Order: sequence, then structure tokens, then C-alpha cells
Amino acid sequence: MKTNEAGNHDEALRKVLKEWRTEVPLPPRFQEAVWRRIKLAEPVPAPTAPSVWTFIAHWIGTVLPRPALATAYVAFLLAVGVTAGWAQARQENARVKGELGERYVRVLDPYQTPRR
Amino acid sequence: MKKGVLILVFGLVAAAAAYGCIYFACTASARSLQRTDKPELAWLKEEFNLSDASFKRVSDLHAAYLPPCRDMCREIDAHNVKLQALLSGATNMTPEITGALAESARLRSGCQTMMLRHFFQVSQAMPPEQGRRYLSWVKEKVFLPDYGMPNEK
Repeated sequence: MKTNEAGNHDEALRKVLKEWRTEVPLPPRFQEAVWRRIKLAEPVPAPTAPSVWTFIAHWIGTVLPRPALATAYVAFLLAVGVTAGWAQARQENARVKGELGERYVRVLDPYQTPRR
Repeated sequence: MKKGVLILVFGLVAAAAAYGCIYFACTASARSLQRTDKPELAWLKEEFNLSDASFKRVSDLHAAYLPPCRDMCREIDAHNVKLQALLSGATNMTPEITGALAESARLRSGCQTMMLRHFFQVSQAMPPEQGRRYLSWVKEKVFLPDYGMPNEK
């Protein structure tokens, strides 16, 4: 019912608007002024700080592919890998050698030999 | 962006590969020591830079030492069982406990004498400098002042 009523009102309004005539000319640059006002009325999005991810993505996309930087990056990671591998291996060697030394002593010393 | 990601991934893969290669290359000798028949002797050879001839002498001494060492272990175990039995029901000192403790001391002394003799023989089978280093190391390991206690330094 309400829909029908609204439809009737629209129809009536349309009819009135069709019959409406105005002799007053539009002011100059009327359309332009309207659009300017619409634009001014639109909410301007507040400037947001770029997120960390945006920054990283931008860096990866634009800065990293530079040959000098790419070479330096790969060389740095290689150095990190080599250093970490060497340090870890040194630690492991020390552990194994320490264990074997202890084992040598345990084999020879009855007071350190594990009993069943 | 694609090129940048490729470089990023390549760098990470290169780092991981470098880590793995260096780690496996540098631990190869330790792994080969562990795989040997007698890792403790292989370690001794490497640690004290023994020549094949020195290592042969040390290995022979080691092999000759083990049977009396095992006998000593059995004797110590048997005596410990006896001492524990004496101590389990005791509330006072008895002549048996005193005797058993004296026997413990005698066994320990005999064991230490046997070990020390072996260590001297082994050190003499090594080049002089390595022999001194070996003796210093093994004495610290076996004849600590607080024998059998955690070493606090």
C-alpha cells in the first residue's frame, strides 16, 4: 500500500515539475558552480601514514632491483650465511670433541665408567 | 615488484645454502671422528696431532690397559655392593665398616696408580710437546683436587 502511495506522490510531483516554468535565466557558469560546490562538500579522505608493509613493498618494488643494491643485499646475506654456518660448526665441533675427550677418560677411569 | 621479490628470495636462498655448505664442510672432520670404530682414540689422534706410528703405539697401550681396567671395575663394583650392604643396616661404626672403607681407599689408590702409569706411558709414546699437553689435560680430567665433585672455578 505504502509503495502505491509513494508511486502516486512521485507521479504527482513529476506532473507538477513538467508544468513548472520559470522565466528567470540561470546565472552564468551555473553548472560549473554546482559541481564545484558538490566537490567541496565531498569529504576529503584524511591523509594516512604509509604502513610498514606499504613501505616494504615499495622498497622491494623500486629500490631493491637497483643493481648495486641487489648485489650488496645478496653479498650481505651470503656473508651472514657463511658466518652463521661457521660459528655453528665451530660450536658443534667443540661439543663433539669435548664429548669424545670425556669418553676417552670414561673408558680409562673405572670411577667414571658408567655402570650397568 | 616481481624482480624485487625474486632478488629477495634469491638472497635468502643463497644465505641458507651458504650456511648449509659451510656448516657441513666444517663439521666433516667431527662427523668422520664419530663414525670411526673407536671414536675416542680417533679423537686422541687428531687432538694431539699423532703420527701413524705414535698412534699405533698409543692404540697398543690402550688395548693392553683395558683388560686390567675392566678387572678393576669388577672389583670396585663387588666391593661397593659389600660396602652398601654393611652401611644399609649400620647405626654405628663397626670394625667391618672401617675395614671396608680402608679397602675402598686401597682400591682407589691402586686404580689411580694403574691409570697414572698408563697416562705416563701414553704421554711417552707421543712427541714430547704433545705428551706434556696430554698429561696436563688428562691429569686435570682424572686427578682433580675435588675428585668426583663438580669443578667450580
